[in-house]
Amino acid sequence: MSELTRTGLEPLNIIGNETARVDAVERVTGQAKYTRDWKLPGMLYAKVLRSPHPHARIVSIDTTEAAALPGVRSIITHEDAQVVWGSGSVNGGRQYNDPTKDATLHRRYIFNNPVRFVGDSVAAVAATDRHIAAQALTLIKVEYEELPFVLEPEESLADGAPQIWPEGNLCPDFRGELKPMVSDIGDVEAGFEEADHVFEERYETSFIHNAQMEPRCALAHWQRDKLVLYTPSQGISNCRHDTARDLGLEDHQVQVITKYMGGGFGNKNQNQDADLVAATLSRRAGVPVMLEYSRREDWLGVHGRWPTVQNYKIGVKEDGTVTAMELRGYSGMGPYRKNSGGISGMDAYGCPNRYREIHPVYTNRTTSGNFRAPSEPHGFYGVENMMDEVAYQIGMDPVEFTKINMRRPTEEQQFTNYSLEEVIDDGVDRFNWQSRRKVVPGSDDGPIKRGAGFSFMMFRAGVGTSSAIVRVNAREEYTLYVGVTDIGPGAKTTMGMIAAEALNVPLSQVEVVWGDTDRCPYSVGESGSRTTIMTGIAVVEAVQDLQRQIADGGMPSGSDVLIASASPTPTTDGKTRQCFGAHFVEVEVDTRVGSTRILKYTAVHESGRIINPTTARDQIRGATLQGIGQALHENLLYDPKTGQPLTPGYYRGRHLTHKDIPDIDVHFIEVDDGYGPFGAKTAGESGIILAPAAVANAVANATGKRMTSLPITRDKILGAMA
Amino acid sequence: MKSLTNINATSFNQAAVAAQQASDQGQSVAFSGGGTDLLQQVKDGTDAADVIINLRSVPDGRIIESNGAGVSIGGLVTLTELSEDPLVISGLAAIAQAAGSVGTPQIRNVGTLAGNVTQRPWCWYYRNGFNCFKAGGEECFSVNGENGQHAIFGGGPSYIVHPSDVAPALVAFDAVFQVTGPNGDREVSAEDFFLLPITNPVRENSLAESELLTGVRIPNVSANTVSTYHKVMDREAWTHAEIGVATVIQRDGNSVQDAKVILAGVAPIPWRVQAVEDFLIGKQISAAVAQEAGEIGIQDSQPLSNNAHKLPMTSAAIERAILSLAAG
Repeated sequence: MSELTRTGLEPLNIIGNETARVDAVERVTGQAKYTRDWKLPGMLYAKVLRSPHPHARIVSIDTTEAAALPGVRSIITHEDAQVVWGSGSVNGGRQYNDPTKDATLHRRYIFNNPVRFVGDSVAAVAATDRHIAAQALTLIKVEYEELPFVLEPEESLADGAPQIWPEGNLCPDFRGELKPMVSDIGDVEAGFEEADHVFEERYETSFIHNAQMEPRCALAHWQRDKLVLYTPSQGISNCRHDTARDLGLEDHQVQVITKYMGGGFGNKNQNQDADLVAATLSRRAGVPVMLEYSRREDWLGVHGRWPTVQNYKIGVKEDGTVTAMELRGYSGMGPYRKNSGGISGMDAYGCPNRYREIHPVYTNRTTSGNFRAPSEPHGFYGVENMMDEVAYQIGMDPVEFTKINMRRPTEEQQFTNYSLEEVIDDGVDRFNWQSRRKVVPGSDDGPIKRGAGFSFMMFRAGVGTSSAIVRVNAREEYTLYVGVTDIGPGAKTTMGMIAAEALNVPLSQVEVVWGDTDRCPYSVGESGSRTTIMTGIAVVEAVQDLQRQIADGGMPSGSDVLIASASPTPTTDGKTRQCFGAHFVEVEVDTRVGSTRILKYTAVHESGRIINPTTARDQIRGATLQGIGQALHENLLYDPKTGQPLTPGYYRGRHLTHKDIPDIDVHFIEVDDGYGPFGAKTAGESGIILAPAAVANAVANATGKRMTSLPITRDKILGAMA
Repeated sequence: MKSLTNINATSFNQAAVAAQQASDQGQSVAFSGGGTDLLQQVKDGTDAADVIINLRSVPDGRIIESNGAGVSIGGLVTLTELSEDPLVISGLAAIAQAAGSVGTPQIRNVGTLAGNVTQRPWCWYYRNGFNCFKAGGEECFSVNGENGQHAIFGGGPSYIVHPSDVAPALVAFDAVFQVTGPNGDREVSAEDFFLLPITNPVRENSLAESELLTGVRIPNVSANTVSTYHKVMDREAWTHAEIGVATVIQRDGNSVQDAKVILAGVAPIPWRVQAVEDFLIGKQISAAVAQEAGEIGIQDSQPLSNNAHKLPMTSAAIERAILSLAAG
């Protein structure tokens, strides 16, 4: 059985106690209303026609026959619906910055011509039922002129490659300049000269989909000049702002409602083209429109984690001191830039000479974008396997090698607290690292080989602006208004617990109102592991304001209420605030058939004070499982000749099933650094950062063969063992 | 999804006649057992049926019974029923194990024996709508494409692998397939039921248009028979066989009197490795014998550009299947 243990802090009254989600009963009894459960009078259903080609110019679209089908109410195409989807393509991949979006060179519309990937939107139909809408799609006649396409990032930059945009295939940075992303610290050439050994290796990772249960959908309902949008969004405030700008409206003219949603994992940040397509169809038809994506459409039409190529060069001294680190990387962004294309991990090391050059590149694959810790799991896989290999090559224990080289606080850059060493040491003990790892990798006799792998990380736990409102009536019933949605971590419960703790009342005395931009204040959005910290601090400050009002004037009486709000912008006094983690995993590799099984998994995290251990543990476990899937199974494979995707969906993706899931022991070292709400840091993304690296290192330790690309499928293992 | 007609069949013969009539009117027909895969194919557009003939309304197709000649299994028996039937578990273990390894519990609760045996290939080209041989086209895209999961035996011009787990086990037990058509019934041996693509690149079996598989008959097995279905999967549930090995052995002590070894996941049909069977006869089952059997099992393989890893896997799977049937 998987265990949950904690050390460091005692629970407070509410916070720190294992707490069932406040909406658990609604969810498991089917009362919870998800976007697709809404029914509005006169509502139409909509579907999208998608490009069957990886790259093609639309010569003509004829919708006559589709429009004549009884039940069809509205059809839109690139010819008559030219709506810019602002967050669909942004210079530099930055998503929260209006000036950058305005300056974006390569604009993405809800329908594009040319179409640039298999699954790019071509047209949409609204009809009286789903089947009519689907049938109408088959009646739209599109004439395409097929264009040459390119799938791989390095090929995309080669001379003579098909040009996806007129300026070429290197994605522009946030200034619109066509340059790679470069970070140059110290003197890397001098560092290599100083080294006793220099190691080089190339690592590759695949496109993987977020694979959240609920596919993308949106229900748009215009009330005169106001748009009410029911949509699963990981950030209703950002969704409202982006949707309003894309449709030429003011923020107050858009109401975004996200009550329950079936997961996100970064697939549902900001607004999506589905929101804009539904809104456009609804405006034309004059009635509400529900747009639904199939699983395949969701896989191909939204986004997933970018595939990467990572060329590392590491200089190291005989004593294990790393003197220089270099990464030259390529990230395949698809034909639109929805995110940075970052490859993180090197910054977890303190080496003074580090050079990183990453080329985010356009390709004719499906779009890349946010996926739980967008830049980290693939990057940590690359750098941690590189460093693990270096450690074994020079005869060192990777844990000892890490302790020599990992980033530590300096005079110039202090941390709010630093517990990485403690986290690693604790994991070494709990996992029994010394007895499980093979000092000589691959040294087990026989075809069934065991080995152990390790990885570590630090990840931002910064503070920032968010808002909360709290109200109390004469019966001492508290209502908390927060603009959060619950993508899985249980934000609704967590916010209620923070308020109840600050108020010193039972959780049952606090009602949480969430998921509606007309009823709730701004919240930062459920991305970047920020809600607990940022909105949590706002909740604490709103409660403090309420308590001051009560101290000044007493509790309200009769039908009066007291209301307090806060929109703080806290700082960390110039210090960096990080959460820390170390994962240890033992695998068994069957080298006759190339399969890998997880035998033991220990995850140790310092995420500050844990608000709700139940959901925090599940965040680490769930993220770890996704990371194992990335390590061993998942890959959206494309046919090189035709540019067609071959493995969309859960069956082809080989995501872990319940039977594949190992026990994962989670241990939290709890610390209150004085900055988060009651000391809370981040948990949601951190688990996934470590898992691919740790699993791949374990496979290398078991087999004695370094797997330099993900996923580590049986063909690669058998190829290496042959 | 296109509009289509559903016909609830009252008997297998009526189903075949209805299929013939629809076909005569130029309509495309599909028989539906559990429908788990067929309906998804219709939604995906890889099956263009105008008429679906639902067989679940046929009253007598869901029986497992033993008579003097052997065991009869109705085509509509679900995979769950097949995997849990005491008669099958005790005498025909490989069939029960194969049925129990299919898909997920949800699929096995609905999916049928006949549907499993006659399901269309799961090649990612065919299932993603490529106009390949299986879709009526003139090309197998795997030859110069992504062929990591494709055939290492019996390929050409199509290189699909047959997707059924149950079929190799049925072949290994010398099952006889019962087929009904508009003009009556016929029987065909399990081994002859399946067709290589060189014979017919479009369909995987010898069912004529408007014919359907209604059940199987398995001749009596001797008391000294042991069997197993060994399946290598990419995860613990919901995958087809990367490699499957259905093995049926008659033993005298630990000495092999007769053997059948039929592979799944490696060829366009359940693939009999007769060289392995011949090698085993008269041998005592041992680690060395099993290992040699595994090596013999891949002698005639013809891997494509990207699936040579299936060779050592196949050897290992054959070796493990045989060794698991050693006495004591």
